[in-house]
Amino acid sequence: MKNIVIGRFVPGKGFLYRMDPRTKIISLVLLMASAFVIRNFTAMFMAIGFMALLLVAGRINIFRVLSGLRPLMYLLAFTFIFQLLFNTQGDLVVAWTLHYSPLNILMVTALVMLWFFTKRHVKFKFFFFLATLVGAVALVANLRLGPAFATGTLDIYESALTTGFFIVMRLMIIVTLSTVLTLTTKPTDLNLGLESVMSPLKVFRIRTEEMAMIISISLRYIPTLLDEANKIMLAQASRGVDFSEGKFKAKIMQIVSLLVPMFIISFKRSDELANAMEARSFVPGQPRTRLHQLTWGLADTAALVVSLLALTAVITTRVVM
Amino acid sequence: MAIKFNRVDFKYKGDDKKGYLALSNISLSIQGEGEFITLIGETGSGKTTLVQHMNALLVANSGSVDIYGIKVEKQAVKKKKIRLNPIRKKVGLVFQFPEYQLFEETVLKDITFGPKNFGVPEAEAIETAQRVIRIVGLDESYLDRSPFNLSGGEKKRVSIAGILAMEPDILILDEPTSGLDPMGRNALLKVFYDIHEKLNKTVIIITHDMNTVYEYAKRVLVMRDSYLVYDGDPVDLFTTKNIENWNLDVPDILNLMHRMEQDLGITLTSRPRSAAALTNALEEVLR
Ligand SMILES: Nc1ncnc2c1ncn2[C@@H]1O[C@H](COP(=O)(O)OP(=O)(O)OP(=O)(O)O)[C@@H](O)[C@H]1O
Ligand SMILES: [Mg+2]
Repeated sequence: MKNIVIGRFVPGKGFLYRMDPRTKIISLVLLMASAFVIRNFTAMFMAIGFMALLLVAGRINIFRVLSGLRPLMYLLAFTFIFQLLFNTQGDLVVAWTLHYSPLNILMVTALVMLWFFTKRHVKFKFFFFLATLVGAVALVANLRLGPAFATGTLDIYESALTTGFFIVMRLMIIVTLSTVLTLTTKPTDLNLGLESVMSPLKVFRIRTEEMAMIISISLRYIPTLLDEANKIMLAQASRGVDFSEGKFKAKIMQIVSLLVPMFIISFKRSDELANAMEARSFVPGQPRTRLHQLTWGLADTAALVVSLLALTAVITTRVVM
Repeated sequence: MAIKFNRVDFKYKGDDKKGYLALSNISLSIQGEGEFITLIGETGSGKTTLVQHMNALLVANSGSVDIYGIKVEKQAVKKKKIRLNPIRKKVGLVFQFPEYQLFEETVLKDITFGPKNFGVPEAEAIETAQRVIRIVGLDESYLDRSPFNLSGGEKKRVSIAGILAMEPDILILDEPTSGLDPMGRNALLKVFYDIHEKLNKTVIIITHDMNTVYEYAKRVLVMRDSYLVYDGDPVDLFTTKNIENWNLDVPDILNLMHRMEQDLGITLTSRPRSAAALTNALEEVLR
């Protein structure tokens, strides 16, 4: 639970912390757009290098960001495999004949058993799982043990590999960038920044202050609610709920015993928050003064220029090449 | 020995790498029966963290906790070598905040939730629920109500009933009387004391009320800044230790005795621990 870092602010030093939140938000949007436009490998590797540079220069713990990516792993893997199976454009890269014979199947079963019984001792469970999967496929494709009762084919096309790679990388870049934003920006600053960035929308009579408030409160409450969930799990565990094992019916019961207090507590929290805001004379839509004024520095201009350059560079390469 | 802490350190994982050290080098043992212990200490000193180790909700980073012969250790728990549920049946813990515990539609279902998890048949669990709801000072009409529409004090009582229904050997209560009216507080303390007296069970209570400590406790544990700084007799604690250093204060009765001695020159021969005992002692001296 604690691994989820999206939305969490972690105090620290480094230039990212000193930057104007407006710059960070605009740069985030520009860089995300760039990530989407990128279509060639050199640019993608440069982008990855740029991200690494950003993390190092910003003195951000890379492991923290990586562990934030962990919940995304399954989504990424699924997307990649989906691409492999169903994208049939470009040259044929791999054309394997899958060989289903009793002996082959036995070996795959053995492999799966091995995975099942050793997985709890392995540190990187997810990669272990992937390796097992690839191993199983490779076994069926390359070993011909005994007569096969059926054969299949596994065709992987070039475009499947590249598209899969780009999608995965893009998602990773986007999540990393947003993590960096919330990691280095105080919720109050984030709120201020969002409000200021969105203020042009006022022309369309959209209440930007409120939207900014909603966004920043939601972001702020993700980690709080996770902490609450943790506490509820402890309280239920003390009454004999075993969250790690149990039959299907027991599992459902466990989830209910977690979700109901979660909802109740969230409602109560939001009610209390609303009251607390009202007690301090918060009136939606009223103009307010600020204790902290945002200040625009040289670093901010530089960051914006860099992000803009990145976007234009990516767009031009895409148009030209 | 039912619970034994061996040099336990515990760190909460925090935002920075270091984490937050909540328990440092704790060693203590608690008998499975016949103890009435209060655990005191300033806010944030680690009391809740300590008791959550006693039924293996938290596991020490270094050191180990023996609970009914089961050695609860980081490695063993990680590899799921030990089953923790039997521990939780034996050591019942009432949480500081009842909101985290209540979730069923009715109070009855909520109270029977624990016993049913430990395999008690439905009918028996319901019978127990009807019994414990009265013990905690509510009547049976509450059993059909939703736990979420109760007042804070009523919720607290229901959450206590939920643990009492599990009939644990060791009963641990994390600030059970906070948010209760004075009458209700005294009645509940009496209930816990009765459980201890009549059934000879071990009861551990976390409290900020020095009067409770002085009147009931046979043994006091004092936490201070993640360390266990005192483990012993309450009279000794309040008369010989420099308790201001630990942000504690003196029970009313001791204050009163001190005043009587200074202003009225009355010195008691015994050490009364309750109002009734004080009157008796006074009577003896004045006569
Ligand atoms: N889930 C958590 N994550 C990080 N730190 C925590 C967590 N829970 C408690 N702490 C910290 O550990 C320390 C000890 O907390 P604990 O809850 O044990 O205190 P306590 O003695 O029970 O206080 P109180 O009298 O207020 O209930 C506190 O300083 C607290 O900030
Ligand atoms: Mg506490």
